[in-house]
Amino acid sequence: MNEQRGVSLQKKILVANRGEIAIRIIRAIQELGYGAVGVYETPDNDALHIRVADEAIWLGDGPRCDYLNIDKIIQAAKKAGAAAIHPGYGFLAENPGLAKACEEAGIIFIGPSAEVIQNLGDKVTAREIMKQANIPMTPGTPNLSPGEAGVQEAVDFAKQYGYPIMLKATAGGGGRGIRRVDSEAQLRGEVQVARAEAKAAFNNDNIFLEKVVLTPKHIEVQIIADKDGRTVHLGSRDCSIQRRNQKLVEIAPALIKDRKLVDEICETAVRAAKAANYFNAGTVEFLVDKEMNYYFMEINTRIQVEHTVTEMVTGIDIVRTQIKLAMGKKLSFTQDDIQIRGFAIEMRINAEDPQNNFMPEGGKTVVVYRSPGGYGVRLDGFVYQGYTIPEVYDSLLVKLTVHGFSWNETVDRLRRCLKNYVIVGPKTTIPFYLTLVQDPDFKAGDFDTSFLETHPHLLDYEEQGSEVNKLARLIAEIHYEKQNSYAI
Amino acid sequence: MERIKTGMNITEVLKTVRGTEGYFITNTARDLSQSDFKNRILLHTDLLAAKTRENANYFSLEITGGASVHVDILRKQVDPFLKLELLRERMPNTMFQTLCRGVNLFGYRPYPQNVIRLTVREFAKYVDVWRVFDFMNHIPNMVAVFEEVQKAGKILEPCICFSTGPEHTDAFYVSKVKELLDVTGDEIVLCIKNHGGLGTPTRIGQLVKAIMDQYPDMVIHYHGHNTDGNDIGRITAAVKNGAKIVDAADHAFTGYYGPPPILSVIQDLRGDGFEPAGVDEKAVIETSEVLRSEREHYEYFESQFKGFSPTVQIHKLPGGAMGSSFEQAVKGDFLDKMPEILHEELPKVQIELGNYWSVTPGSQILWTTAVNNVLGGDRYGNPTGDLKNLLLGKYGPFPFYQPPDWIYEKVFGADWRKVLETEGGMDDIEDMDIDKERAALTKRLGSDPTEQQLVIYLQHPNDAAEFYKFEEKFGQVYVLPPSIFLRRGGFKLGQTLKFKDHDGKEHVIEIGPKEKSEDGEWNIYLNVDHHERVYLFKEKQAAGAVQEVQLSREEIADLAKAGDIRAPFNANVSEISVEIGQKVKPGDRLVIVEAMKMQTPIESVVSGTVEKISAELGKPAKPGDKIMKITLDSN
Repeated sequence: MNEQRGVSLQKKILVANRGEIAIRIIRAIQELGYGAVGVYETPDNDALHIRVADEAIWLGDGPRCDYLNIDKIIQAAKKAGAAAIHPGYGFLAENPGLAKACEEAGIIFIGPSAEVIQNLGDKVTAREIMKQANIPMTPGTPNLSPGEAGVQEAVDFAKQYGYPIMLKATAGGGGRGIRRVDSEAQLRGEVQVARAEAKAAFNNDNIFLEKVVLTPKHIEVQIIADKDGRTVHLGSRDCSIQRRNQKLVEIAPALIKDRKLVDEICETAVRAAKAANYFNAGTVEFLVDKEMNYYFMEINTRIQVEHTVTEMVTGIDIVRTQIKLAMGKKLSFTQDDIQIRGFAIEMRINAEDPQNNFMPEGGKTVVVYRSPGGYGVRLDGFVYQGYTIPEVYDSLLVKLTVHGFSWNETVDRLRRCLKNYVIVGPKTTIPFYLTLVQDPDFKAGDFDTSFLETHPHLLDYEEQGSEVNKLARLIAEIHYEKQNSYAI
Repeated sequence: MERIKTGMNITEVLKTVRGTEGYFITNTARDLSQSDFKNRILLHTDLLAAKTRENANYFSLEITGGASVHVDILRKQVDPFLKLELLRERMPNTMFQTLCRGVNLFGYRPYPQNVIRLTVREFAKYVDVWRVFDFMNHIPNMVAVFEEVQKAGKILEPCICFSTGPEHTDAFYVSKVKELLDVTGDEIVLCIKNHGGLGTPTRIGQLVKAIMDQYPDMVIHYHGHNTDGNDIGRITAAVKNGAKIVDAADHAFTGYYGPPPILSVIQDLRGDGFEPAGVDEKAVIETSEVLRSEREHYEYFESQFKGFSPTVQIHKLPGGAMGSSFEQAVKGDFLDKMPEILHEELPKVQIELGNYWSVTPGSQILWTTAVNNVLGGDRYGNPTGDLKNLLLGKYGPFPFYQPPDWIYEKVFGADWRKVLETEGGMDDIEDMDIDKERAALTKRLGSDPTEQQLVIYLQHPNDAAEFYKFEEKFGQVYVLPPSIFLRRGGFKLGQTLKFKDHDGKEHVIEIGPKEKSEDGEWNIYLNVDHHERVYLFKEKQAAGAVQEVQLSREEIADLAKAGDIRAPFNANVSEISVEIGQKVKPGDRLVIVEAMKMQTPIESVVSGTVEKISAELGKPAKPGDKIMKITLDSN
């Protein structure tokens, strides 16, 4: 069937992921003229990514274990004759084991080397590398020693720098494995708990401490490097609006008035990437405090959810570039070629009930799906009308990214798009976002990581609260009961 | 001629009426709705008729009061105050009239003074003409309402309730009028309240004349029902003898138990040379043209029996109770017993219980007693709480004579004289702690109630709280026409429902498919103003899964002897009088259930301990539903 599309299938690339990112990558693969191989677990039988892929390989019943099974992924790639594997984000993306297995199997891994993933994934090693490169960092400790000695090290550190401090899993990431500690008593209690949790979550019980930067902005820089070490940044992003360290809204470029500072942060990111011998696309994350000091946090060795905003303001197709670089191509642009044009905002439209602690709405069917479009609007989704959201995966339905010439135009466009959305079935984050985009502080670009805590009223929206909807509910009830039980 | 309009005080009203040739008409829409449509005529329909009714220049529009306040919140799901507010916007000049049951307000039993006064004060903001009655014609029962109406500067229209029989003489009624005037002063409209439509035209004519002879300046408002098909005759006789205001209703909706058609009254009186003062007959006709097409949607609520009931002269049930009595007979499956109940037992009970006036709540006591007497076989063997209260004089003294001793003995046992001595007579009803009630309502609503909400709650606590929650959930449903709101059966696929909301904005709802999901939920798709919506409903237990075993009265009685207390009939649980673990003995009150406006206590017939309570306060129970379980004492 693929021959009919007139596509040369000499080269195939396997996408070791699901959901919207799998589709994003498949699109890039297909644009490059390669064949896209999808993989899936049983709960994803009806998922869109295996429909848009040129072929799809079933990994197993899952859930979540087969997408994480390196052997099965390698076997699938071999079976399909795939020359390369793109890991997307999540699942095996930052597992050096997959990169290593690819090397051993003679398959191209689209991402940095296993060694780089390993080094940067280990937060303590990463900090050491950055320290040597004079990258500004928050004060922190190496991995704590096991047992009581570690507790003592932690207490000593906290005495020197004061509370609060962050207790972090060395192997953590994506907002996981982080806990805030506000007192010595708490710290003494939490060290072992954190260790046990890290062990359970990352199979690595190393933990370390970092001084907390209070109410910082979360600023990150997209970098991209070829195998010859040519490293370019694609500008900054602001991902400060988070809920429990999970990003909700991502913006490019960072809304910091001092553009020189932003340039400096971007250049620092390039230095950091070079220090780590970074190859392919990655993200260098920083915290920026009230006094506009910035501190290195970590490097994410993968494509990120929010890469779309960078693509919109730079015009660079990051995933296409990733593939080309992995295939041995050199960077086709230099730093001077990169121009930041306008603003882009991305919102993750999740099937969650924000008013019920963002409870996922898995298991519900999307009965009606109507999406916005038009100028400056980009959708990266995998939802379709009639799709039943599996309960076993994350709740992201679609990423809405808008681009505008000015910040105000971009926010206006975002509001318009959110209003244009019609999703019936699961509750979504859309009504919450609608109140958010109309918030004066958001519109003024004035926010940091404490935004949600300082703006709890954003959750006080009314769900489909119009009178006619209430009446329609009664009409539906009369229709269902075949009489109005209130009017008998 | 000056029209009677809002804002006039009683002096101006009386002066205008006295100085005008001819007679005035009250459009008794509320009584029509109550008598012929079980009170279900929706605000939507009244709003449709508002403009032409306003133009018709009636003395007043009776649009609230009686049972309507309760039915508004219970069945029509409309706020009784909002209803008046919205009608007032469209009818700025027409006086709104209410029917108030004196101490029983708009409910079925006596309320404390402070509740009465608060209620009248709140309603008086919207209601101009206050027709007030007491089913015992016991004037003191109405005094609190009188005072508040007069304080509010509204038109006071006290009633003398009318009935027939040897005791119901002109002399008696004229003396009642005097008793009234002694309390109210001269500035009243006097209502002759003929709620059953009893007596011949000649009898009514005589009564009006007798009163007019004694009080030549009296403005008499005749109120009747057309149950026997002859109220126009009585109206005409009343007017000929000096009554200045009469009751009638829009012909598009007139039925068999309510008021007769306005136009027929006008035409009949015209033949005798009487003209309706200021009435625009064209607007009267237009009103019925507007209303005509709405009537079909109310068909379900019309009487099961079509045709006039001239036997009302025998059984004397008020027009307002006719429809619900037949409905109860159908639901209770004793339709075949109706001739016996209506034509033999009820007249007998009337005489036995003192030949008082068969109107709420007295009519319910007569009716329920007659039904129990016939169905139970043992006359007065199964007395309701309200019958006991009547016999104890809680509603007021019997007007003509006491019921015979044997009834007291049957109801209260051999010691009945002692019971009567210790418990008899009217109670001083203690004022309610209104702040406490307000706090209770605040808790139930989750927000501060308005004074209006409080007033409704004080009379019907459970129903009011449920209604305000309903309003929260479904919004202002009064905008839905009866074709939607009273729909029986589902809608058709693709059917388009159009209606205007309370802001006048038109909405279109299209009925989409129904679909059962895998987890047994039903998805109902609607297209609401061009947006697709889905509404989820949990599948109900299949019929048959619920045990629909009907227990007989004997079985329910047998179970009670084993401590298994069941609901005796379709009723709401209005009080749970015991707690789990409580010791009970025979005669202890376990719960009170309420049906057809009557409260019936269920008493224990055993000694034991309350083990489990299945009944829920304010919730309906079907015959045979579990109420509670009592573990019998082991002896």
